[in-house]
Amino acid sequence: MPVVDIDPDELRALTDHEEKTDEDLQADLFDLGLEFEGWTDDEEMQLEFAPDRLDRLSVEGVARSLRYHYGDDRGVYVPSTNDPEWTVRVEDQPPDRPYVTGAVIRDVDFTEGSLESLIQLQEKLHATMGRQRAKGAIGVHDLIMLKGHEARGASEQQRGEETDPRADATTDEAHSNPGKRVRYTSVDPDDERFVPLDADTDMTPAAVLSDHPVGETYAGLVEGFDRVPAIYDAIGLFSFPPVINGRRTEVSTESRDLFVEMTGTDQWTVDRMLNIVCYALSARGAQIERVAVEYADDAPGEYAGRTLDRPDLSTKTKTVTHDRIEETLGVDLDEETVVDCAERAGLDAESTTEGGTPVYEVSVPPYRVDALHPLDIIDDIGRAYGFNELEPRYPDVSTVGGRHERSRLEDAARDALVGLGFEDLLNFHMINEAENFERMRVDTDGDCLGAGDPVTIREPYSEDYTILRTWALPSLMMVLENNTHRSYPQDLAEVGLAAEVDEDVNTGAAERRTVAAALARTDVSYEDAKARLQALATAFGKDLATPATRHPSFIDGRAATVVLDGEPAGVIGELHPAVLVEHDLEVPVAAFELELDALS
Amino acid sequence: MTTRLPPVQVALLEAADAETDRPITDLAGEADRKPETVTRAAFELEDAGLVAVTEETEDSLTLTPEGERYRGEGLPELRLYEAALAAGADDEPAGLGDLLPEADLDGDAADIALANFARKGYGEVESGSVRADPDADPDADAERAALAAVAAGDTSDLEAATLDRLERRALLERTERTARLVRLTDDGVTALMGGVEPVERVDRVTPELLTSGEWEDVDFAAYNVEADAEPARGGREHILRQTANRVKDVLVGMGFEEMAGPHVDAQFWINDCLFMPQDHPARTHWDQFALAQPDAVGELPDDLVDRVRSAHLEGVGEDGEGYHSPWGVETAASLDLRGHTTSLSMRYLSGYQKGELDPPQRCFSVEKVYRNDTLDPTHLLEFFQIEGWVMAETLSVRDLMGTFEEFYDQFGITDLEFKPHYNPYTEPSFELFGTHPETGDLVEVGNSGVFRDEVTEPLGVEADVMAWGLSLERLLMLIYGFEDIRDVHGTLCDLDLLRNVEAMH
Repeated sequence: MPVVDIDPDELRALTDHEEKTDEDLQADLFDLGLEFEGWTDDEEMQLEFAPDRLDRLSVEGVARSLRYHYGDDRGVYVPSTNDPEWTVRVEDQPPDRPYVTGAVIRDVDFTEGSLESLIQLQEKLHATMGRQRAKGAIGVHDLIMLKGHEARGASEQQRGEETDPRADATTDEAHSNPGKRVRYTSVDPDDERFVPLDADTDMTPAAVLSDHPVGETYAGLVEGFDRVPAIYDAIGLFSFPPVINGRRTEVSTESRDLFVEMTGTDQWTVDRMLNIVCYALSARGAQIERVAVEYADDAPGEYAGRTLDRPDLSTKTKTVTHDRIEETLGVDLDEETVVDCAERAGLDAESTTEGGTPVYEVSVPPYRVDALHPLDIIDDIGRAYGFNELEPRYPDVSTVGGRHERSRLEDAARDALVGLGFEDLLNFHMINEAENFERMRVDTDGDCLGAGDPVTIREPYSEDYTILRTWALPSLMMVLENNTHRSYPQDLAEVGLAAEVDEDVNTGAAERRTVAAALARTDVSYEDAKARLQALATAFGKDLATPATRHPSFIDGRAATVVLDGEPAGVIGELHPAVLVEHDLEVPVAAFELELDALS
Repeated sequence: MTTRLPPVQVALLEAADAETDRPITDLAGEADRKPETVTRAAFELEDAGLVAVTEETEDSLTLTPEGERYRGEGLPELRLYEAALAAGADDEPAGLGDLLPEADLDGDAADIALANFARKGYGEVESGSVRADPDADPDADAERAALAAVAAGDTSDLEAATLDRLERRALLERTERTARLVRLTDDGVTALMGGVEPVERVDRVTPELLTSGEWEDVDFAAYNVEADAEPARGGREHILRQTANRVKDVLVGMGFEEMAGPHVDAQFWINDCLFMPQDHPARTHWDQFALAQPDAVGELPDDLVDRVRSAHLEGVGEDGEGYHSPWGVETAASLDLRGHTTSLSMRYLSGYQKGELDPPQRCFSVEKVYRNDTLDPTHLLEFFQIEGWVMAETLSVRDLMGTFEEFYDQFGITDLEFKPHYNPYTEPSFELFGTHPETGDLVEVGNSGVFRDEVTEPLGVEADVMAWGLSLERLLMLIYGFEDIRDVHGTLCDLDLLRNVEAMH
């Protein structure tokens, strides 16, 4: 879950609630779903929250939510924007990273704190919506260091003739696109040089990827690109998204005007990330200025030939019925309450009546990325109403309960084994090849119990857990090995899962429940295991036969197939001394293992 | 008044004297009983106040085999002296090489002879030659005399230093012997005068005793009923299994039916049906166990796949929006170890596992799930998830709250709080907090919500479904206060902990 670090003094200032103590703030934030996790070294509060409200990834966003919570603000707020002076021309950009968006921010008045907050917001958006910059990456630049191209290239002259009926937030007035422009395009990684952040000399993009620490971290995102993403102004390359910005346009507390660009694999995603950043900067008193994002006619992606007016701060509307709200919350509400709750959630609700029951047209502000369905609006209304105000009731629904047949059989087998004196165990289904096969002297391609093609984990995290066990006896041997300091006898049993690869099964794995039991003590022998196996077979009304067999885990001449009602179901025997010694055991072990289903 | 006592006690009482303390060994001899039997009877009579038992300790001295040998052959130093005198060493020093064979001394005996020769003043030994002191008197050797006296059992005149010396030379063994002496008390005399009658006292109840009817005339020996017995060890159902079964009992009692399904499953059932976008951070292999083999599901129901894809890309309902994330059936078909048992709920709700389900329904499972986490005292790579859901025509948040209050109350977890939460697959969603039965702390006990339309609509469910999940291990740790779950679950388990843990009821 995302964690955001918030300076409580900033929160008090931004909410205009200087009287709130740290404890008050923590309690109010808990109500919003932000849990206080502790203090940072810089005396900021670490807050953890679920990854739906990504607009709360900065102190500005958290303050906005609190102001709605306190009732200081109501309804949808959309900051005003100025007309664009800048255009982002998009041509020949990498087809695997085709989308870009941007904004100009005027009159920012950074303090150390507010600049840090912007940097944190950028990082947190990268980690969440941006999917570690793969889906969306943010670049923030000092606008004063940019020099716009004034002239237009020939290819740009041709555009603007066609209109696109899909366009809602686009402008068809090609020639109205402002003249100061930067260009999002691609470049051969060995053919360009620039000075990246945290470097003193100019480097090629290829050198950044191999030699610059930030470049190394994000090299994977442009792996396989013939030409890498690049953003130019009239002076040259100033950003190498999604990897690193150029040093020329680095932002400091002295910066007054900013150019914000975001590139990614999805236009909607980068536009929403931009909205969250714009709202945060606007909350600090900065003025937002739109930019024209002008896709060339032959630009890759779904916006070729269109110009987008960004940021897109239009609200969206969801239609929610009164009935559904009442049904979900389980209480009767009047219209005023619903509208009031919506406004306290930062939404606007307009009620219309369709055939008697009210229906609400609810406006959702552009920083909300989580409202996909009317249900999400109902949740907002419920939170504003206060879910904990609701009286719990046991649902008036009658159903018949029962256990699954297999789980009843498992329990019956477990009870029988416990009655015979076995300690019931519960081991992991995951194990590694050495424990499952080699240490038991079993080959994967043999035909004995335990042999078989194991379900195998891709890129396992731990070398101890790499496959699902194909049988349970190895788990029991491991428990014996780890408990040689405990008193004997140690009679252990487990009824649990084992699996192996099987193409005939839909999921590719044959899963079965297996019954395994082991007796360890100084004077144990085959007969002791057989006696208990007989008792188990009798308990389930099965005819038991134990014809001699060979199994690499057992001593030759002291191993047999377990045959129940004429069907082979498992194996019984005295463990081979090589297996015992391998498990550091100094006592003999007699054991059996069989399929649970054979007892049914 | 006649006193009824076991025969041994009667014999002892009759043999004992009121005037003198008599050794038990003597009394046993007179009564013709084993001394151990009589000793036990003496203590029993002492407990009854009929005799007084006193103890006397005395040293008893015996010769070791070596001491016995020297008593016969003579002490080695004396034999050396004899040989030296015979060789005229009182005049002229004699060579040791000649004397030792003469005295029949070799090896250890030679060393012993030389060590004691000079100490006891029989002469001097220097550079291999021996000079004997003519004034020494072997007949006055105290150690020789002591050996003879100990053998004769008369040690009263011996000096303690001599005995200590012999003991150090390992020629003598000193043992302490406790003699118990019995004397009749006044009560004992009174009892004897009133008359004592022997009665049979038996140890075990035998078949003969029962069938013969003799049991009516016997007295059963009293046992030390407070003493610890040899440990008895039966098998135990695993404590986590007991907890699981307790949960299952509660849920069955609340009308829930148990689900079952595969551990290895397609991401489709694990994630896609749950409206988890395919680029969701939790779907990377760092959080879930993707499989190298097998690597793809055999087949998925085509129409359901289409509806799920559409929910992801377009959303559901008039106003619905999808995710702005790519969706491919290859990802949906790839196989994982399930990260939650909600995959079973998806299989059941879709009708794929068991056929179409009409509302109302309640279903649950308590089954293993797998998370690619770091193993630590509270996190396992595989653990049990309690999964439950209710399907009905209409369900509200209040029904959800009522159901969970009922469930957690069964485990003593009360005052449930519902903290609004976010899950991709439920809306509204709640984290459940409850008051810990022992510590009184507010602790997280589960996660719950009402399945989104984007989940239920593709599954073909036209009713409301509310669901919740909880780790069984967490419930166990709350109830028992275990600090390291690895002691309980898995091959690192401690058998003693499992053997001794308190039973769940």
